[in-house]
Amino acid sequence: MTGVKGMLGAVVTAPLVALARVLEVPLRLWQRLTGQGGMVAFFLLPNMAIFTLFVLLPLVINIAYSMTTGAALFLPERTYVGAAQYERLLRCTDYTNLMTCQEDQFWIALRNTGTFVVLQVTLLIVAATITALILNRALRALSFWRAVFFFPVLLSPVVVGLIWRWILDRNGVLNAALVGMGMDPVNWLLERNYAFSAAIGVTIWAHLGFFALILLAGLQAIPRDLYEAAEMDGTKPARVFWRITLPLLMPNMLVVIVLALIRAVQVFDEAYVLTGGGPGTATLFLTQYIYEVGFASLLKNPGLAAAASILMGGVLIVLTLLQLALGKRNERKGRLK
Amino acid sequence: MGRIQLHDIRKSFGAVDVLKGIDLTINEGELVVFVGPSGCGKSTLLRMIAGLDKPSSGRIEIDGVDVTPRSAADRGLAMVFQSYALYPHMTVRANMAFGLQNTNMPKPEIDARISEAARMLEIEPLLDRRPGQLSGGQRQRVAIGRAIVRRPTAFLLDEPLSNLDAELRVSMRAELSALHDRLGATMIHVTHDQVEAMTMADRIVVLRAGKVEQVDTPLNLFNRPANLFVAGFIGAPGMNLWAGQAKDGAVQLDSGARLPLPSGVTVPEGSVTLGIRPQHLRPMAGGPVRAEVRLIEALGPESVVHGDMGAGGTLLAVLAGQPDLARGTVIELGYDPQMAHVFGADGQRLA
Repeated sequence: MTGVKGMLGAVVTAPLVALARVLEVPLRLWQRLTGQGGMVAFFLLPNMAIFTLFVLLPLVINIAYSMTTGAALFLPERTYVGAAQYERLLRCTDYTNLMTCQEDQFWIALRNTGTFVVLQVTLLIVAATITALILNRALRALSFWRAVFFFPVLLSPVVVGLIWRWILDRNGVLNAALVGMGMDPVNWLLERNYAFSAAIGVTIWAHLGFFALILLAGLQAIPRDLYEAAEMDGTKPARVFWRITLPLLMPNMLVVIVLALIRAVQVFDEAYVLTGGGPGTATLFLTQYIYEVGFASLLKNPGLAAAASILMGGVLIVLTLLQLALGKRNERKGRLK
Repeated sequence: MGRIQLHDIRKSFGAVDVLKGIDLTINEGELVVFVGPSGCGKSTLLRMIAGLDKPSSGRIEIDGVDVTPRSAADRGLAMVFQSYALYPHMTVRANMAFGLQNTNMPKPEIDARISEAARMLEIEPLLDRRPGQLSGGQRQRVAIGRAIVRRPTAFLLDEPLSNLDAELRVSMRAELSALHDRLGATMIHVTHDQVEAMTMADRIVVLRAGKVEQVDTPLNLFNRPANLFVAGFIGAPGMNLWAGQAKDGAVQLDSGARLPLPSGVTVPEGSVTLGIRPQHLRPMAGGPVRAEVRLIEALGPESVVHGDMGAGGTLLAVLAGQPDLARGTVIELGYDPQMAHVFGADGQRLA
């Protein structure tokens, strides 16, 4: 057994060893020439190059785009307009009435996204916490249930959207079931409130497992002794939850909330496949607005889309910094313990 | 208040019998120590008394009332956990108040009880700190304080000293004993450390493999162990146990040595085990116990000698002072036969 393994190992490692021998001489020479700093640069360079090419550069180009106008694709052919695109996005004659805004679609998308973020994140966190609490108790077949709740996370967002459209469509599975039970069919995706609720429900279904798993890890890290001490003291279950479980889960909870916020702000694929932003603009979210203005509408306006994406990026940066700060705080606390 | 009686307590986890019928009475105000090797069921037994686990069968009575079906909270007991189980996000004060708040006790009463316990345990300056900011010994005190404020019928202590360093353990041991005298409450203390058991207990319950081997005062356990297990478990270093054949008032060992039995007792001929505490051996020219010295642990006031008696027999002797011995020399030792213990083939005490 070990012999076979050893042979397989040798087959895998032999070429690597040979490669290392070949590389050793030039690398040692490089180190002698450039010192340790040079070696650091050598190993970091490939990664930095990819990051620059695909993340940093597009970001800079995007900022440049947001200050130009026209339909031309190449930056040098575009007209510089300064902050005009931002002005166009943000200008309204009467801020209490979104219809008076120059880019009313942007404002509608903003309002929809805001409502979506508040409702979806709240419900998602509550649902994930309840799921985690149940999973934490059900010791029997725990791995099975964990897998069941985590499974949707593995699906592509487009697949999630398609599955649920198949269920919620006017001629979909759900309506077929309703008709079968003698009830009237409901236009789930063609009625404003139902469609918005469907977008919330489906995204929660898709992401629940991920967040429940993080919370479950937090719950399992709480020592059993604490619960036994509370039991000896005759603590009621509700008080155990509010005074022991929740405070000790807080570090994980904060991370989960911020991650959920970031994802909710970026909502696009599941909702777009499910409702296409409709009916009307009922489920038009910011990312869809940016996509349509930049690429999908007849009058493509990449400059405007770039400006909108920069504004959205600003919100996400704030949330990300918050997440990093929380992560660092947890790390420090972890060290203190 | 605080008399605890166990009637035929059994516990099985699946096919494994962890407790095999425990009968025990713990008197009011007594400090009883459950001691035994790991896996003997001592912690399980304590958790049954606490109400954290239910026995598979049997009855637990507190002050004559059957509490077996009652929840942990309704038994009026307090527990100190091995890990202390302090709530890490609460101050020491909040930790101590938490259990009392469950009973809707008025705040002034809670405050009064906390300051009384804090004074007793000298943790007043720590009341506004969190467990993470305390040393191991301080956490231990807080855990005890959290138990004291509840004025329980009895205290249950599950290896409370095992997370402390050796020095602190010795001082906390003395403090716990003093606290027991002061409170006069029933205490059940679980430990695997027989020195802890010997120094603290009014009575010791020696457990092995889910059964009570012997219940008695520390000195009676030391002087008259009921069987081979207790003889080997109680006392440090452990008792010399030599198997041989009893005949004509002496035990014939495989190595050829003939060791005298105590007089005045009749030991039937046949296989027996002779037990002699290392402390009861002393140098004696021509003495019956001969061994080759393998190792000497010089502790200063006394020396522990490990020796080889031939035919697989080993010797442990605690000799006074600092005898001039070298590895490989042969020593001859004797003992007062009245101090010897004899156990039959079934492991039970004969004399």
